[in-house]
Amino acid sequence: MNHRAKFFQLAVYIILSISLITFPLTAYSQTKSAKTEKIRIGTAISLSGPYSAGAGMTQIPNYNMWVEEVNAKGGLLIKKLNKRVPVELITYDDKSDIGTAVKLGEKLILEEKGDLLLPPWGTAMHFAIAPVINKYGYPVMGPTVSSENLREIALKVPYFFGILNMPREQGAALADLLEELGVKRVALIYVADAYGIEWTGKVAPDLGIKKIDVVIFKSYPGDVKDLSPLLKTIKAADVDALLCMSYPGDTFLITKQAKELGLNPKVLYLGVGVAFPVYKQMFGGPNVIEGIMGAGAWNPRVAYPGAKEYFERHVKRWKTEPDRWASAFTYASLQILEQSIEKVGSIDRKKIRDTIATQTFPTVIGPVRFEGGFNVQSPGEIGQWQKGEFEVVAAKEKRTAKPIFPKPSWP
Amino acid sequence: MSLTLLLDILIGGLMMGGLYALIAVGLSLQYGVARVLNVSHGEFIMLGAFATYSLYILFGINPLLSLVVTGPLIFIVGFLIHRTLFKRLKRLSPTMDAFEGGSLLASFGLLFIIQNVALLIWGPDVKGYSYLSKTVSFLGALYAANRLVALLFAILIGIIFYYFLKRTRMGKAIRAAAQDVTTAQLMGVNINFVLGLCFGLGALMAGIAGSLTSMMFEITPLIGLPYTIISIIAVVLGGLGNILGSLIGGLILGLIGNIVMYIHPGLSLIAYYIIFLLLLLIKPTGIFGK
Amino acid sequence: MRRAISKKIFYCMLFSLCSILMAMIPPYVSPYTIILLNSIFMYIVLTVSWALFSGPTHYLSLASAAFFGLGIYVSAILGEMLPLLAVIALGGFISFLLALLVGLSSLRLRGMYFTIFTFGLSELIRHSVQWWEVNKTGTVGRWVIGVDHTTVYYVMLGILLITLATTYAIKHSKYGLALLSIGESEEAADHIGISVNTLKIITFAISTFFMGATGAIMATRWSYIDSSIAFNPLFSFMPVLMAIFGGVGSIFGQILGAGVLTLLADFLLTKFPYYYMLLYGMILVVVVLFVPKGLTGLKEELKRWREGGSVNPGRKDGASIHPE
Repeated sequence: MNHRAKFFQLAVYIILSISLITFPLTAYSQTKSAKTEKIRIGTAISLSGPYSAGAGMTQIPNYNMWVEEVNAKGGLLIKKLNKRVPVELITYDDKSDIGTAVKLGEKLILEEKGDLLLPPWGTAMHFAIAPVINKYGYPVMGPTVSSENLREIALKVPYFFGILNMPREQGAALADLLEELGVKRVALIYVADAYGIEWTGKVAPDLGIKKIDVVIFKSYPGDVKDLSPLLKTIKAADVDALLCMSYPGDTFLITKQAKELGLNPKVLYLGVGVAFPVYKQMFGGPNVIEGIMGAGAWNPRVAYPGAKEYFERHVKRWKTEPDRWASAFTYASLQILEQSIEKVGSIDRKKIRDTIATQTFPTVIGPVRFEGGFNVQSPGEIGQWQKGEFEVVAAKEKRTAKPIFPKPSWP
Repeated sequence: MSLTLLLDILIGGLMMGGLYALIAVGLSLQYGVARVLNVSHGEFIMLGAFATYSLYILFGINPLLSLVVTGPLIFIVGFLIHRTLFKRLKRLSPTMDAFEGGSLLASFGLLFIIQNVALLIWGPDVKGYSYLSKTVSFLGALYAANRLVALLFAILIGIIFYYFLKRTRMGKAIRAAAQDVTTAQLMGVNINFVLGLCFGLGALMAGIAGSLTSMMFEITPLIGLPYTIISIIAVVLGGLGNILGSLIGGLILGLIGNIVMYIHPGLSLIAYYIIFLLLLLIKPTGIFGK
Repeated sequence: MRRAISKKIFYCMLFSLCSILMAMIPPYVSPYTIILLNSIFMYIVLTVSWALFSGPTHYLSLASAAFFGLGIYVSAILGEMLPLLAVIALGGFISFLLALLVGLSSLRLRGMYFTIFTFGLSELIRHSVQWWEVNKTGTVGRWVIGVDHTTVYYVMLGILLITLATTYAIKHSKYGLALLSIGESEEAADHIGISVNTLKIITFAISTFFMGATGAIMATRWSYIDSSIAFNPLFSFMPVLMAIFGGVGSIFGQILGAGVLTLLADFLLTKFPYYYMLLYGMILVVVVLFVPKGLTGLKEELKRWREGGSVNPGRKDGASIHPE
């Protein structure tokens, strides 16, 4: 081997040795940074990997915006210190990998000694960190988790709260709506993920109770590229409604391919992603998605104080609208956090947890109250795109518009 | 089973198969000739897809036309990578096995690098555009126009490449190198250039496939690896080192995948792996292998 | 130079000393250090057990994730019914059995074929388990009984010590030599009278025992697992990378490689969340191009460079991933 290569080798060896030595030192110095000067809030969330699209849409902008708003006021109000303390947000990338999420959660708690933690994206990720945040006593409200399994373990994880609509109520709302519209035969497809399995598991029995026939019932992998065979089969089956418990990637795919194939059931319902602002434009404009229904129901016109202003602030800050489902829930969870800290007067995590568990909080999604660890203010909510706005069509009492039925043909 | 459904499955399968065939030929060039099992092959597909996407969104350039620009670019990138990375590695490796192992690892490194760079440039969100998405009726079934175009394009490229291999001097040189590198060298082939050329052509195939993909599907920086796996399976199916065999391998995989998809969407990948493993156990040299 | 004590006794003493020291530290370090050490132990075991078979024979296996994941699932399914140590032993044994099966079926495959076969197998298992859990049992994601980090530490330490001892014993026995000769030339080894197939399969299976046992205990660390976590292909690639990085030929090199890269990953993940894949990829390329014999090889090269004399890229002590 020539000398140049050996020199390279030597350089590599030296660089690695130096990094190996400096690493423990830098890590050590991190934990020594003064604690009372800032409130450190950590989050390990998906900046890369399949979950990053959802995280980047729904949670990350809200986290950052909230921190900015709080710091613009001087920080969070800590009554015990009689002053406001600024907030620092530490963001790690969990790579959409559960093992990494757990490890980073522990790192934020044990090494970074964060004061508070904000949750990652997606049902599976919330499952992963629930034991961790509970073990070390960090109260967390999950805005992108929806699973009945959590209800079962809720007693074991008192520090964990679910704020998003739960499958049981969503399923019931959807089934009620379909019954009201007179739907008789449906195709039910779902993404092969905890979320898809759970929601389908709840909706299917409800449909059965209402004597609605599920003629097609299939799952598909999360990274599916082409669902046209399945959609063609569904078209041939001539169902009244196509219900898809889908994640953003497949939501977009199904919409696109359904249009291409001329699949036009009377009701088209999709999962996560319908409420995203890009959904309005990506198929050629709002008129194309007229009548499509999706999970969630919130728009800037809902009658909750601060909703419209939040919407406008988000647009101003990020040049894009918040999504019309979990974004609002995320922001609401941050409002609750802020209000709890003010009520408690300090960063006492146990007291904050107890406050969240017992009080009612005014937020952009309405007055939120947790019972048994779950938000009872927002039972099933379904939205439908009508003339460029995502109107609330279920539950019936919360409607901002009547549902359009049947869905108009693809333009 | 109605004739329409059968036709539907067949044509749909061939559409994906055409894409797979392109990708498989690309990998086959890289492995069969340059002996690099390039696990970052899919990343070039991804790059081609994003390049086309960016040109369309930013400048409104027709995706098919933009191939004139993106194609040569990706080819050059592939060529340079071979020249700088793999050629050097070849020089340092005492045996062919050593080189294959080392290039496998180096291409893993490339995979990480390219994916991260793409993530930094374009971000992790799903991106897509609409092009020729009108539905057309073909032999009684409905397809998106862009799929038919992609299939035609793949066939065109395939035919051009076939003639290139069989009729041109460079094509002969490539085939000679695929059979036996040392002999080819003895016969006067500028082997370093040919190896680099093959690697570049492999990247080019991937890039073209990527462009076609971006017309039909939404894209993210993560779409590469599944295609790489499919191309490896197709190459093994056709016989390692048999360039045209891998083309057939790709078509077969596309067909099988589509058939399985009608049964259950989640089973296609499992079906591919089962075929792959059985093939390795029964006839590792592939259907057309020597 | 005559040694006062033989190399073997020296290593035994060093080994015992280190074991005792490692066993004593948990009360004195922060909880996160224990978690980090658990990760390091895990990767050392995966790397050393991978290199036990793939090192000398040059059969690059990319199926480590399959056996590791199997151990995880054993823990997830049986964790509530059996005591911890039983679950771990079972994780190891079931992996052993699966490895026997895999070995028997892939006897004829060499080189790249063997490698992609093992990879395909691992992926097939991952996707099949997931499909089954989604469509048949509806249980994507399982909860694992949690075990506190210190217990995990002691168990992992135990597995680590057993793995190192076993590997050392095999390597320095006639079987170790036999494995090396298989790596040099399988036909020649066969001619000498080595029962090549038996040795290959048994060694492969032994190596996977440790992977399975490790999976069983590490599952408790994650509490919630599904097939994409358990059979994550990274658990197959990383041991290979770590072994090559540290130097495939020596156990010390493997330990070094695993330790350094795990620390590096932890460091990069938190300090450069947007770039760590890029950096990792670059390290991989640099290692393959410039440091093919790993860190330990580098040390030898430096020594030789200093002492002068010609540089010999090929060495016959199995110190490289490549057959010489």
